[in-house]
Amino acid sequence: MHFDPVANMQLLVSGLAFGSIYALVALGFVLIYNAVGVVNFAQGEFVMFPSYIAVTFLLPAITVFGTVVHWQLPIVGVYLLVLVLMVGFGLLFNRIAYHPLRDRGWMPVVISTIGVSIFLRNAAQMIWGSQPIVMPSLFAVDTISVGPLHIRPQDLLIIGVTAVLIAFQFFLFERTTLGKQMRATAQDRATARLVGVRVGRIVAITFVYSALLGTISGLLVAPLFTVTKEMGALIALKAFAASIVGGFGSIPGAIVGGLAIGVIETFGGFYISSAYVDAIAFIILISVLLVRPQGLFGERVAEKA
Amino acid sequence: MTLRHAERKWAALAGLVFVLALLPAFVHSDYLLSLFDTAGIYAIVVMGLGILLGFAGQLSLAQAAFLGIGAYTSGWLTTHLGWSAWPSMGAAMALSAMVGLAVGYPCLRLSGHYLALATIGFGIITQLVLINWKSVTNGSDGMGNIPAPQIGSFVFDSYARYYYIVLVAVLACAYVAWRIKTTRVGRALEAIRENEIAARATGIDATRYKIIAFVLAGAYAGLAGSLLAHMTKFISPDSYSFDQSVVFLVMLIVGGSASISGAILGAVLLWFLPEVLRPLKTSYIMVYGAAVVAMIVFMPRGLVGLLETLRSRFVRRRPDAA
Repeated sequence: MHFDPVANMQLLVSGLAFGSIYALVALGFVLIYNAVGVVNFAQGEFVMFPSYIAVTFLLPAITVFGTVVHWQLPIVGVYLLVLVLMVGFGLLFNRIAYHPLRDRGWMPVVISTIGVSIFLRNAAQMIWGSQPIVMPSLFAVDTISVGPLHIRPQDLLIIGVTAVLIAFQFFLFERTTLGKQMRATAQDRATARLVGVRVGRIVAITFVYSALLGTISGLLVAPLFTVTKEMGALIALKAFAASIVGGFGSIPGAIVGGLAIGVIETFGGFYISSAYVDAIAFIILISVLLVRPQGLFGERVAEKA
Repeated sequence: MTLRHAERKWAALAGLVFVLALLPAFVHSDYLLSLFDTAGIYAIVVMGLGILLGFAGQLSLAQAAFLGIGAYTSGWLTTHLGWSAWPSMGAAMALSAMVGLAVGYPCLRLSGHYLALATIGFGIITQLVLINWKSVTNGSDGMGNIPAPQIGSFVFDSYARYYYIVLVAVLACAYVAWRIKTTRVGRALEAIRENEIAARATGIDATRYKIIAFVLAGAYAGLAGSLLAHMTKFISPDSYSFDQSVVFLVMLIVGGSASISGAILGAVLLWFLPEVLRPLKTSYIMVYGAAVVAMIVFMPRGLVGLLETLRSRFVRRRPDAA
């Protein structure tokens, strides 16, 4: 095994792209966890379901409920449509799976999000069948040459969009009233309510925001793989691992943890074992939990973020 | 009608066991019997999870991995070393319990979501090992020709015969769980569940009792895995997935997590629910997901809680009854 700088550069770009996806989904986890104190086990379905909706309107022909339909729309219009639909989805999810259980501790909510996850995965199978579906990409070519490197433009798009979203989130949380209300709710719901924050509404907005983060990750990652009912599950588990590696509840931790897991996993899959590539994230996770259970960024940063 | 409460309870239990023992005389469909056998085996796994989560308050999402370890131990010992089924079951239970110890010990510092995630990681790694360690597990092709248990020349090779092994195992496991719940260990676990710091302050060795819970959960799942392997005679890695662990957790929560009968009831009910929903064809798992949400929203204390509420209403209306 010789050291090849070109191959390593390419691995780094691809690792950062996967890491960006993990980071976005991990942010979705952390925001909901901070707002309501539970882990949303349907987060992966926030990635999977919008991807299916998107391919329904992107492909010239697709089978829906066993009938072939031709609903192809312009790609930008489809992205907007999916985002709008997922706003409704986030609100509905909050109403059904979280709101009725909000005073019952974290376990019932975990179970109900698991129920929603089972429901959505099988709804997807029922509507779109079990065959993997290829999502068209924004780009006409698979790879572009940058000097000696062959890089997928989709990877660059993922990294770029993630950077913009992180900047947006920073702006939202640090500079806007809504963001400050979200942070206040995350820190202490009772006090936030006392100073006039409408906690119920902020929680609903958090669910919507988290659903949108999942949607964007799905739209970004689907062209690299295929759209299947399982596509969100492993991404979500690794994103969850990433958020714990970074320090659960910490927003910078989720981002750094996501990127780190993406990069280490890509290199590990190439140099160590491609069969065990999916174990790498969890080996990192268990090591971190044993050595430094509070994660890289600990809980202190979480209070600031 | 002067039987005291405890005696009535024992009589009801004896009656129930009697009815259950007669079941294969009335059910002749092999398919139905195989469902009953599996339901009993799952009840054992869920009882183990109940000791860990319901009694001790420690959430594990790796029960399917322990089930897999039990199944593969049995499979490997019988097909590679030529062991017979009974000692393999013991070995499967012992190995699974030891892995429970090995996982439980480092996980002691973790709780709640962290513990859940560490166990998810362990479960996924275990499944990957089952898929990729081909020299031992035969990879995705699975392992076949696992022999059925036998006593003398009597072979438990039909679902009706196997039913009795499962029934005895379920009763034994329920008895052990009940002994644990009603004695010192159970009270210690309960104290840890409610408030670990307070439990430690009253002199409970929380570390030791939590490890006991992990080991028992591992042993229960190991036994169940072995029972499953000797019943189906064929095992493959995809049965021991994270999704399966989730199913066990849902069974326990829906049944009522701190109660042994709840664990059994939840396992049996949720195992049969897809069968009942099968006329819905492709949408049945979807409805199953929705049913889980509905049950958790409308039955806060699980099935057992619901039954208790119904009974107290029934009893109040007819004070002379029973």
